[in-house]
Amino acid sequence: MNSRDQLISSLVGDLTIKKHSFPVIWVAILWWLLSWVYVVTATFLMGPIRLLHQYEGVLHAHQFQIESLIGLVASLFISIIAWYGSTPGALSRRYVYLAFTFVAVWLAFYVVGFFEPALEPSMVGKRDHCYLEAFIYSLPPTVVACFYIVRRYPINKIQTGFLVGLAGGIIPALFMQFSCMYESEHIFTYHIVPAIFAGVIGVVVLYIFNFINEK
Amino acid sequence: MKKRNKNDEVRWSTLMTNAQRGNENDYRQLLSELGDTIAAYLRSRFGDLDVLEDCVQESLMAIHKARDTYETSRLFRPWLFAIVNHKTIDMLRKRDKHHNVINEKMFQQKELMSIEADHLVDRENKFDKMQSCGQLLMSLPDIHREAILLTKLQGLSMKEAAEHLEISEGAMKVRVHRALDASRKLLKSERY
Repeated sequence: MNSRDQLISSLVGDLTIKKHSFPVIWVAILWWLLSWVYVVTATFLMGPIRLLHQYEGVLHAHQFQIESLIGLVASLFISIIAWYGSTPGALSRRYVYLAFTFVAVWLAFYVVGFFEPALEPSMVGKRDHCYLEAFIYSLPPTVVACFYIVRRYPINKIQTGFLVGLAGGIIPALFMQFSCMYESEHIFTYHIVPAIFAGVIGVVVLYIFNFINEK
Repeated sequence: MKKRNKNDEVRWSTLMTNAQRGNENDYRQLLSELGDTIAAYLRSRFGDLDVLEDCVQESLMAIHKARDTYETSRLFRPWLFAIVNHKTIDMLRKRDKHHNVINEKMFQQKELMSIEADHLVDRENKFDKMQSCGQLLMSLPDIHREAILLTKLQGLSMKEAAEHLEISEGAMKVRVHRALDASRKLLKSERY
Protein backbone atom coordinates (compact mmCIF):
# COMPACT_ATOMS: atom_id res chain seq x y z
CA MET A 1 0.00 0.00 0.00
CA ASN A 2 1.60 3.27 -1.11
CA SER A 3 1.27 6.58 0.70
CA ARG A 4 -1.61 7.79 -1.49
CA ASP A 5 -3.63 4.64 -0.76
CA GLN A 6 -2.93 5.09 2.94
CA LEU A 7 -4.13 8.69 2.74
CA ILE A 8 -7.29 7.63 0.89
CA SER A 9 -7.98 4.97 3.54
CA SER A 10 -7.65 7.50 6.33
CA LEU A 11 -9.88 10.01 4.50
CA VAL A 12 -12.50 7.31 3.92
CA GLY A 13 -12.32 6.44 7.63
CA ASP A 14 -13.02 10.09 8.41
CA LEU A 15 -16.14 10.22 6.20
CA THR A 16 -19.27 11.58 7.85
CA ILE A 17 -22.78 11.96 6.50
CA LYS A 18 -23.39 15.44 5.11
CA LYS A 19 -25.89 17.43 7.13
CA HIS A 20 -28.82 18.73 5.15
CA SER A 21 -28.00 22.11 3.73
CA PHE A 22 -29.62 24.47 1.26
CA PRO A 23 -27.92 25.38 -2.02
CA VAL A 24 -25.58 28.31 -1.51
CA ILE A 25 -27.72 30.64 -3.63
CA TRP A 26 -30.67 30.20 -1.26
CA VAL A 27 -28.44 30.80 1.72
CA ALA A 28 -27.22 34.00 0.03
CA ILE A 29 -30.76 35.22 -0.63
CA LEU A 30 -31.86 34.38 2.91
CA TRP A 31 -28.86 36.23 4.34
CA TRP A 32 -29.62 39.23 2.11
CA LEU A 33 -33.28 39.34 3.21
CA LEU A 34 -32.44 39.01 6.90
CA SER A 35 -29.76 41.69 6.57
CA TRP A 36 -32.34 44.04 5.08
CA VAL A 37 -34.79 43.35 7.91
CA TYR A 38 -32.04 44.01 10.45
CA VAL A 39 -30.78 47.22 8.76
CA VAL A 40 -34.27 48.68 8.32
CA THR A 41 -35.18 47.86 11.93
CA ALA A 42 -31.94 49.26 13.32
CA THR A 43 -32.25 52.44 11.24
CA PHE A 44 -35.84 52.94 12.41
CA LEU A 45 -34.83 52.48 16.02
CA MET A 46 -31.91 54.89 15.80
CA GLY A 47 -33.61 57.84 14.13
CA PRO A 48 -36.40 59.17 11.93
CA ILE A 49 -36.84 58.00 8.34
CA ARG A 50 -36.82 60.95 5.94
CA LEU A 51 -38.88 59.20 3.31
CA LEU A 52 -41.90 59.00 5.62
CA HIS A 53 -42.10 62.80 5.41
CA GLN A 54 -41.29 63.07 1.70
CA TYR A 55 -43.09 60.13 0.17
CA GLU A 56 -45.35 62.21 -2.07
CA GLY A 57 -42.38 63.65 -3.93
CA VAL A 58 -40.81 60.22 -4.27
CA LEU A 59 -43.92 58.77 -5.90
CA HIS A 60 -43.30 61.02 -8.89
CA ALA A 61 -39.48 60.83 -8.92
CA HIS A 62 -38.90 58.07 -11.46
CA GLN A 63 -35.12 58.58 -11.49
CA PHE A 64 -35.05 58.00 -7.73
CA GLN A 65 -37.19 54.89 -8.06
CA ILE A 66 -35.00 53.44 -10.80
CA GLU A 67 -31.74 54.17 -8.98
CA SER A 68 -33.14 52.60 -5.82
CA LEU A 69 -34.29 49.54 -7.71
CA ILE A 70 -30.90 49.14 -9.40
CA GLY A 71 -29.17 49.60 -6.04
CA LEU A 72 -31.38 46.87 -4.62
CA VAL A 73 -30.51 44.49 -7.46
CA ALA A 74 -26.81 45.40 -7.12
CA SER A 75 -26.85 44.58 -3.40
CA LEU A 76 -28.54 41.23 -4.12
CA PHE A 77 -26.01 40.31 -6.81
CA ILE A 78 -23.05 41.31 -4.65
CA SER A 79 -24.46 39.14 -1.85
CA ILE A 80 -24.83 36.18 -4.21
CA ILE A 81 -21.29 36.41 -5.61
CA ALA A 82 -19.92 36.88 -2.08
CA TRP A 83 -21.53 33.59 -1.00
CA TYR A 84 -20.52 31.89 -4.24
CA GLY A 85 -16.94 32.60 -3.18
CA SER A 86 -17.40 29.99 -0.45
CA THR A 87 -17.89 27.17 -2.97
CA PRO A 88 -14.99 26.09 -5.22
CA GLY A 89 -15.68 26.71 -8.89
CA ALA A 90 -19.05 28.39 -8.31
CA LEU A 91 -17.99 31.97 -8.87
CA SER A 92 -17.50 32.71 -12.55
CA ARG A 93 -16.18 35.93 -14.01
CA ARG A 94 -19.50 36.48 -15.74
CA TYR A 95 -21.30 36.74 -12.38
CA VAL A 96 -18.70 39.14 -11.04
CA TYR A 97 -18.96 41.39 -14.11
CA LEU A 98 -22.74 41.33 -13.91
CA ALA A 99 -22.80 42.26 -10.22
CA PHE A 100 -20.29 45.07 -10.62
CA THR A 101 -22.10 46.38 -13.69
CA PHE A 102 -25.17 46.87 -11.52
CA VAL A 103 -23.05 48.57 -8.86
CA ALA A 104 -21.48 50.84 -11.51
CA VAL A 105 -24.88 51.77 -12.94
CA TRP A 106 -26.22 52.43 -9.44
CA LEU A 107 -23.28 54.73 -8.65
CA ALA A 108 -23.58 56.37 -12.07
CA PHE A 109 -27.04 57.57 -11.06
CA TYR A 110 -25.47 59.49 -8.18
CA VAL A 111 -22.91 61.00 -10.56
CA VAL A 112 -25.79 62.08 -12.79
CA GLY A 113 -27.35 63.41 -9.60
CA PHE A 114 -24.59 66.04 -9.37
CA PHE A 115 -26.06 67.67 -12.49
CA GLU A 116 -29.64 66.45 -12.40
CA PRO A 117 -30.63 65.25 -8.93
CA ALA A 118 -33.30 62.57 -8.65
CA LEU A 119 -34.80 64.49 -5.73
CA GLU A 120 -34.40 68.11 -4.80
CA PRO A 121 -31.20 68.11 -2.67
CA SER A 122 -32.04 69.11 0.88
CA MET A 123 -30.93 68.69 4.45
CA VAL A 124 -34.28 67.15 5.39
CA GLY A 125 -33.75 63.95 7.37
CA LYS A 126 -30.05 64.49 7.92
CA ARG A 127 -28.78 62.05 10.53
CA ASP A 128 -25.92 63.27 12.68
CA HIS A 129 -23.77 60.17 12.43
CA CYS A 130 -25.00 58.54 9.23
CA TYR A 131 -21.48 57.49 8.19
CA LEU A 132 -21.02 55.66 11.51
CA GLU A 133 -24.46 54.12 11.27
CA ALA A 134 -23.83 52.97 7.69
CA PHE A 135 -20.60 51.33 8.78
CA ILE A 136 -21.73 49.84 12.10
CA TYR A 137 -24.96 48.39 10.66
CA SER A 138 -22.87 46.53 8.10
CA LEU A 139 -20.80 44.72 10.73
CA PRO A 140 -23.24 42.10 12.14
CA PRO A 141 -24.29 40.76 8.71
CA THR A 142 -20.62 40.69 7.67
CA VAL A 143 -19.53 38.83 10.80
CA VAL A 144 -22.37 36.30 10.50
CA ALA A 145 -21.59 35.65 6.82
CA CYS A 146 -17.84 35.30 7.45
CA PHE A 147 -18.53 32.91 10.33
CA TYR A 148 -20.39 30.54 8.00
CA ILE A 149 -18.32 31.09 4.88
CA VAL A 150 -15.05 30.22 6.57
CA ARG A 151 -16.54 26.83 7.49
CA ARG A 152 -17.15 26.14 3.83
CA TYR A 153 -14.20 26.35 1.41
CA PRO A 154 -13.41 29.92 0.31
CA ILE A 155 -10.53 29.61 -2.16
CA ASN A 156 -9.80 33.31 -2.59
CA LYS A 157 -10.14 34.69 0.93
CA ILE A 158 -9.31 38.29 0.12
CA GLN A 159 -11.85 38.49 -2.68
CA THR A 160 -14.54 36.65 -0.72
CA GLY A 161 -13.96 38.70 2.45
CA PHE A 162 -14.13 41.95 0.50
CA LEU A 163 -17.31 40.94 -1.31
CA VAL A 164 -18.97 39.85 1.94
CA GLY A 165 -18.08 43.15 3.64
CA LEU A 166 -19.20 45.10 0.58
CA ALA A 167 -22.47 43.18 0.44
CA GLY A 168 -23.01 43.94 4.12
CA GLY A 169 -22.06 47.60 3.55
CA ILE A 170 -24.18 48.27 0.48
CA ILE A 171 -27.43 47.47 2.30
CA PRO A 172 -27.21 50.28 4.91
CA ALA A 173 -25.61 52.57 2.29
CA LEU A 174 -28.63 52.08 0.06
CA PHE A 175 -31.16 52.38 2.84
CA MET A 176 -29.59 55.65 3.92
CA GLN A 177 -30.98 57.16 0.75
CA PHE A 178 -34.44 56.62 2.22
CA SER A 179 -33.62 57.56 5.76
CA CYS A 180 -30.88 60.21 5.57
CA MET A 181 -30.62 63.44 3.56
CA TYR A 182 -30.52 63.12 -0.23
CA GLU A 183 -27.60 64.81 -1.96
CA SER A 184 -25.07 63.14 -4.28
CA GLU A 185 -21.88 64.39 -2.61
CA HIS A 186 -23.21 63.45 0.83
CA ILE A 187 -24.21 60.00 -0.43
CA PHE A 188 -20.76 59.31 -1.87
CA THR A 189 -18.85 60.60 1.14
CA TYR A 190 -21.01 59.39 4.02
CA HIS A 191 -22.84 56.33 2.68
CA ILE A 192 -20.74 54.76 -0.08
CA VAL A 193 -17.27 55.20 1.47
CA PRO A 194 -18.29 53.35 4.68
CA ALA A 195 -19.60 50.50 2.47
CA ILE A 196 -16.19 50.21 0.78
CA PHE A 197 -14.50 50.34 4.16
CA ALA A 198 -16.81 47.53 5.28
CA GLY A 199 -15.34 45.50 2.42
CA VAL A 200 -11.86 45.91 3.92
CA ILE A 201 -13.22 44.91 7.32
CA GLY A 202 -14.77 41.84 5.68
CA VAL A 203 -11.29 40.67 4.62
CA VAL A 204 -9.96 41.15 8.16
CA VAL A 205 -12.92 39.35 9.75
CA LEU A 206 -12.67 36.43 7.33
CA TYR A 207 -8.95 36.07 8.05
CA ILE A 208 -9.55 36.19 11.81
CA PHE A 209 -12.22 33.48 11.58
CA ASN A 210 -9.99 31.44 9.29
CA PHE A 211 -7.14 31.70 11.79
CA ILE A 212 -9.41 30.59 14.65
CA ASN A 213 -10.91 27.81 12.53
CA GLU A 214 -7.54 26.40 11.53
CA LYS A 215 -6.31 26.46 15.12
CA MET B 1 -12.39 13.14 -25.09
CA LYS B 2 -15.53 15.20 -24.48
CA LYS B 3 -17.60 12.03 -24.12
CA ARG B 4 -15.11 10.65 -21.61
CA ASN B 5 -15.24 13.91 -19.63
CA LYS B 6 -19.03 13.76 -19.64
CA ASN B 7 -18.98 10.17 -18.38
CA ASP B 8 -16.51 11.11 -15.65
CA GLU B 9 -18.65 14.08 -14.75
CA VAL B 10 -21.77 11.98 -14.23
CA ARG B 11 -19.93 9.16 -12.43
CA TRP B 12 -17.97 11.43 -10.09
CA SER B 13 -21.05 13.46 -9.29
CA THR B 14 -22.94 10.28 -8.40
CA LEU B 15 -20.04 8.91 -6.36
CA MET B 16 -19.71 12.20 -4.46
CA THR B 17 -23.44 12.35 -3.78
CA ASN B 18 -23.30 8.79 -2.42
CA ALA B 19 -20.22 9.68 -0.38
CA GLN B 20 -22.06 12.63 1.13
CA ARG B 21 -24.69 10.11 2.26
CA GLY B 22 -21.96 8.10 3.96
CA ASN B 23 -21.14 5.44 1.34
CA GLU B 24 -17.50 4.57 2.07
CA ASN B 25 -16.95 2.30 -0.95
CA ASP B 26 -18.07 4.97 -3.39
CA TYR B 27 -15.93 7.53 -1.61
CA ARG B 28 -12.88 5.29 -1.83
CA GLN B 29 -13.48 4.70 -5.52
CA LEU B 30 -13.98 8.42 -6.11
CA LEU B 31 -10.76 9.42 -4.32
CA SER B 32 -8.77 6.72 -6.14
CA GLU B 33 -10.05 7.88 -9.53
CA LEU B 34 -9.51 11.51 -8.66
CA GLY B 35 -5.96 10.80 -7.47
CA ASP B 36 -5.03 9.32 -10.86
CA THR B 37 -6.85 12.06 -12.76
CA ILE B 38 -5.16 14.84 -10.78
CA ALA B 39 -1.73 13.26 -11.27
CA ALA B 40 -2.29 12.97 -15.03
CA TYR B 41 -3.66 16.51 -15.17
CA LEU B 42 -0.68 17.99 -13.34
CA ARG B 43 1.80 15.96 -15.36
CA SER B 44 0.27 17.21 -18.60
CA ARG B 45 0.48 20.84 -17.39
CA PHE B 46 3.75 20.92 -15.49
CA GLY B 47 5.70 17.90 -16.72
CA ASP B 48 7.44 15.73 -14.15
CA LEU B 49 7.10 18.05 -11.20
CA ASP B 50 9.05 16.65 -8.25
CA VAL B 51 6.28 17.69 -5.85
CA LEU B 52 3.60 16.14 -8.05
CA GLU B 53 2.63 13.43 -5.57
CA ASP B 54 2.53 16.02 -2.77
CA CYS B 55 0.21 18.16 -4.90
CA VAL B 56 -2.04 15.17 -5.56
CA GLN B 57 -2.27 14.27 -1.87
CA GLU B 58 -2.80 17.88 -0.80
CA SER B 59 -5.58 18.13 -3.37
CA LEU B 60 -7.22 14.93 -2.07
CA MET B 61 -7.14 16.31 1.47
CA ALA B 62 -8.64 19.58 0.25
CA ILE B 63 -11.37 17.68 -1.61
CA HIS B 64 -12.13 15.82 1.61
CA LYS B 65 -12.32 19.07 3.55
CA ALA B 66 -14.52 20.75 0.94
CA ARG B 67 -16.70 17.72 0.14
CA ASP B 68 -19.82 19.19 1.77
CA THR B 69 -19.68 22.25 -0.49
CA TYR B 70 -20.30 20.16 -3.59
CA GLU B 71 -23.88 20.57 -4.75
CA THR B 72 -25.42 17.94 -7.02
CA SER B 73 -27.03 20.67 -9.10
CA ARG B 74 -23.57 21.93 -10.11
CA LEU B 75 -20.95 20.44 -12.40
CA PHE B 76 -18.32 18.37 -10.64
CA ARG B 77 -15.26 19.16 -12.78
CA PRO B 78 -15.20 22.97 -12.23
CA TRP B 79 -15.54 22.29 -8.48
CA LEU B 80 -12.75 19.70 -8.58
CA PHE B 81 -10.27 21.66 -10.68
CA ALA B 82 -10.85 24.90 -8.76
CA ILE B 83 -9.56 23.01 -5.70
CA VAL B 84 -6.71 21.29 -7.56
CA ASN B 85 -5.46 24.50 -9.20
CA HIS B 86 -5.64 26.39 -5.92
CA LYS B 87 -3.75 23.69 -4.04
CA THR B 88 -1.10 23.28 -6.74
CA ILE B 89 -0.26 26.97 -6.96
CA ASP B 90 -0.35 27.14 -3.17
CA MET B 91 2.07 24.20 -2.92
CA LEU B 92 4.44 25.72 -5.45
CA ARG B 93 4.44 29.01 -3.56
CA LYS B 94 5.04 27.32 -0.19
CA ARG B 95 7.77 25.21 -1.72
CA ASP B 96 9.71 28.42 -2.38
CA LYS B 97 9.91 29.31 1.28
CA HIS B 98 10.73 25.80 2.44
CA HIS B 99 13.21 25.06 -0.32
CA ASN B 100 14.98 28.37 -0.11
CA VAL B 101 16.09 27.73 3.45
CA ILE B 102 17.37 24.24 2.68
CA ASN B 103 18.94 25.15 -0.64
CA GLU B 104 20.56 28.23 0.84
CA LYS B 105 22.47 26.07 3.31
CA MET B 106 23.32 23.44 0.73
CA PHE B 107 24.53 26.13 -1.64
CA GLN B 108 26.87 27.59 0.94
CA GLN B 109 28.35 24.17 1.67
CA LYS B 110 28.84 23.41 -1.97
CA GLU B 111 30.54 26.74 -2.48
CA LEU B 112 32.99 25.85 0.24
CA MET B 113 33.70 22.54 -1.40
CA SER B 114 34.34 24.30 -4.72
CA ILE B 115 32.26 21.92 -6.74
CA GLU B 116 29.94 24.56 -8.07
CA ALA B 117 31.30 24.49 -11.60
CA ASP B 118 30.66 20.79 -12.07
CA HIS B 119 27.31 21.18 -10.44
CA LEU B 120 26.19 23.85 -12.87
CA VAL B 121 27.26 21.81 -15.88
CA ASP B 122 25.21 18.97 -14.50
CA ARG B 123 22.24 21.25 -14.12
CA GLU B 124 22.68 22.53 -17.65
CA ASN B 125 22.17 18.96 -18.87
CA LYS B 126 19.19 18.54 -16.63
CA PHE B 127 17.74 21.77 -17.99
CA ASP B 128 17.95 20.41 -21.54
CA LYS B 129 16.04 17.32 -20.50
CA MET B 130 13.34 19.51 -19.01
CA GLN B 131 12.47 20.96 -22.39
CA SER B 132 9.84 18.26 -22.78
CA CYS B 133 7.72 19.80 -20.06
CA GLY B 134 3.96 20.11 -19.74
CA GLN B 135 1.70 22.00 -22.10
CA LEU B 136 0.95 24.71 -19.55
CA LEU B 137 4.63 25.55 -19.21
CA MET B 138 5.04 25.52 -22.97
CA SER B 139 2.37 28.15 -23.32
CA LEU B 140 4.13 30.50 -20.88
CA PRO B 141 6.51 33.20 -22.16
CA ASP B 142 10.16 32.07 -22.25
CA ILE B 143 11.30 33.99 -19.16
CA HIS B 144 8.39 32.69 -17.08
CA ARG B 145 8.88 29.11 -18.24
CA GLU B 146 12.60 29.32 -17.49
CA ALA B 147 11.86 30.67 -13.99
CA ILE B 148 9.49 27.80 -13.17
CA LEU B 149 11.75 25.16 -14.72
CA LEU B 150 14.74 26.22 -12.70
CA THR B 151 13.10 26.79 -9.34
CA LYS B 152 10.14 24.40 -9.31
CA LEU B 153 11.11 21.50 -11.53
CA GLN B 154 14.85 21.51 -11.18
CA GLY B 155 14.70 22.54 -7.54
CA LEU B 156 17.32 25.34 -7.60
CA SER B 157 17.16 27.98 -4.89
CA MET B 158 16.33 31.54 -5.89
CA LYS B 159 19.99 32.47 -5.47
CA GLU B 160 21.23 29.62 -7.64
CA ALA B 161 18.64 30.26 -10.34
CA ALA B 162 19.47 33.97 -10.31
CA GLU B 163 23.17 33.24 -10.76
CA HIS B 164 22.39 30.78 -13.54
CA LEU B 165 20.43 33.45 -15.42
CA GLU B 166 22.85 36.21 -14.41
CA ILE B 167 20.20 38.39 -12.82
CA SER B 168 19.72 39.62 -9.26
CA GLU B 169 18.00 37.44 -6.67
CA GLY B 170 15.25 40.04 -6.31
CA ALA B 171 14.57 40.03 -10.04
CA MET B 172 14.45 36.22 -9.93
CA LYS B 173 11.86 36.29 -7.15
CA VAL B 174 9.73 38.73 -9.14
CA ARG B 175 10.04 36.51 -12.22
CA VAL B 176 8.95 33.39 -10.31
CA HIS B 177 6.07 35.26 -8.69
CA ARG B 178 4.87 36.51 -12.08
CA ALA B 179 5.34 33.09 -13.63
CA LEU B 180 3.17 31.49 -10.93
CA ASP B 181 0.55 34.19 -11.38
CA ALA B 182 0.54 33.59 -15.12
CA SER B 183 0.21 29.84 -14.51
CA ARG B 184 -2.68 30.42 -12.13
CA LYS B 185 -4.46 32.58 -14.71
CA LEU B 186 -3.89 30.00 -17.44
CA LEU B 187 -5.23 27.22 -15.22
CA LYS B 188 -8.23 29.35 -14.30
CA SER B 189 -9.05 30.13 -17.91
CA GLU B 190 -9.15 26.44 -18.86
CA ARG B 191 -12.49 24.77 -19.42
CA TYR B 192 -13.06 21.49 -17.66
